[in-house]
Amino acid sequence: MSTPARKRLMRDFKRLQQDPPAGISGAPQDNNIMLWNAVIFGSYIKYGSISYSGFFSGWDCSPDDTPWDGGTFKLTLQFTEDYPNKPPTVRFISRMFHPNIYADGSICLDILQNQWSPIYDVAAILTSIQSLLCDPNPNSPANSEAARMFSENKREYNRRVREIVEQSWTAD
Amino acid sequence: MQNQDGAVADREKESAVSIPISEVDDWANFADDDIMQQQSAIHAEEAKKIPFVGDKEPLSMLAAEYESGSPILLEKIKVLDQQYAAIRRTRGDGNCFFRSFMFSYLEHILESQDRAEVDRIKGNVEECRKTLQSLGHTDFTFEDFFSLFLEQLECVLQGNEDSISQDELILRSRDQSISDYGEWFGWLVVMFFRFVTSGEIRKRSEFFEPFILGLTNATVEQFCKSSVEPMGEESDHVHITALSDALGVPIRVVYLDRSSCDIGGVSVNHHDFLPTSGDKSNAKGGSTVPVKPFITLLYRPGHYDILYPK
Repeated sequence: MSTPARKRLMRDFKRLQQDPPAGISGAPQDNNIMLWNAVIFGSYIKYGSISYSGFFSGWDCSPDDTPWDGGTFKLTLQFTEDYPNKPPTVRFISRMFHPNIYADGSICLDILQNQWSPIYDVAAILTSIQSLLCDPNPNSPANSEAARMFSENKREYNRRVREIVEQSWTAD
Repeated sequence: MQNQDGAVADREKESAVSIPISEVDDWANFADDDIMQQQSAIHAEEAKKIPFVGDKEPLSMLAAEYESGSPILLEKIKVLDQQYAAIRRTRGDGNCFFRSFMFSYLEHILESQDRAEVDRIKGNVEECRKTLQSLGHTDFTFEDFFSLFLEQLECVLQGNEDSISQDELILRSRDQSISDYGEWFGWLVVMFFRFVTSGEIRKRSEFFEPFILGLTNATVEQFCKSSVEPMGEESDHVHITALSDALGVPIRVVYLDRSSCDIGGVSVNHHDFLPTSGDKSNAKGGSTVPVKPFITLLYRPGHYDILYPK
């Protein structure tokens, strides 16, 4: 049956196919438009180059590679019939090391929680998560070890992130 | 590795469902989901007390609330009683300004059958649509909300197949199941106003920036993202100015607070938000159109209700 949520998700999918943001891919699983797989590619993550809501400020801000470079991070997005009035549940399947990502892969990001608005589509959600990877929010740590390292020992933090990147190549 | 992660996920899910708040002794395990669940439980509790839009009540009902309270407020309510016939309460769920505006506007059209006004606001709604597009929003993220509002405008005009009565308007504004959009009508139309307000603020960010800085010390982008676009975020003068300008609808806000009064008599302050026609400055010289607001809201710190002049 075609409900408003499903109709909207079809449009989300069409947009993501026609106009995919750099470094992001996503699609519903076969036979289930309510459950999506997505991938965020670390090579496209640049410091401060993406604004949160999916409006691009350009890719030319910084040429510096981040420790996330080369990673392919898999996520799932679980939608309900309340979408887009309620956010999807988004979770990393790939193992992550990041101040705002819990051990179970769930993400501490304002727009996925109390600051959700139907103004975000799947592309905007994924670009927000993409920008969160190299711009963590140290005020709401989900992983306190990662948060502490991020502020106190950047070198060790980067090393741990690169470990995650390497794991992302082999894990399936 | 994968299995381990899965196990953690399941355990967290269980705890979120079953553990009462008082028994959470390890706050490290009290994750965002739990907090959100608790918040929505509180909202649901509140929701039972006052409908989205209440019945018209005489101002004496308002006075009764303050019987043992501040004498200044009681004096001010007496003054209000001379000018206003009734109050209609709205639910204090953070959306009260937008919901009061919605109901008050649609009720005004229903009573006045002012087709010229409907045509005018449709033009503004079209402008708002273009604004959102030019800001880079994807059409399908907002178009349903726009259609819904435009449909309601048609409904309150009489003589159409789907015309509705005032009773129906009240029912519709209260109802939590009427729409087939997967959510409540009252919710969706509020969302329309939030989109319009956010678009106007972003479009004229230079104008709004100093006022936003005064309120929250946030950038325009942050403000729209955190205080305008999400449901349940309360409105302030920035929201009211932006909505009034975007839709070209003047709004009067009457303030019922404890602020001191002129010597010799109690008076009640009000402020008229008059839309500027700044964007059409070539045609109209960017001046304020001198119109009397047909929407009057009563502001008590933190909340807006609807007032009806005598």
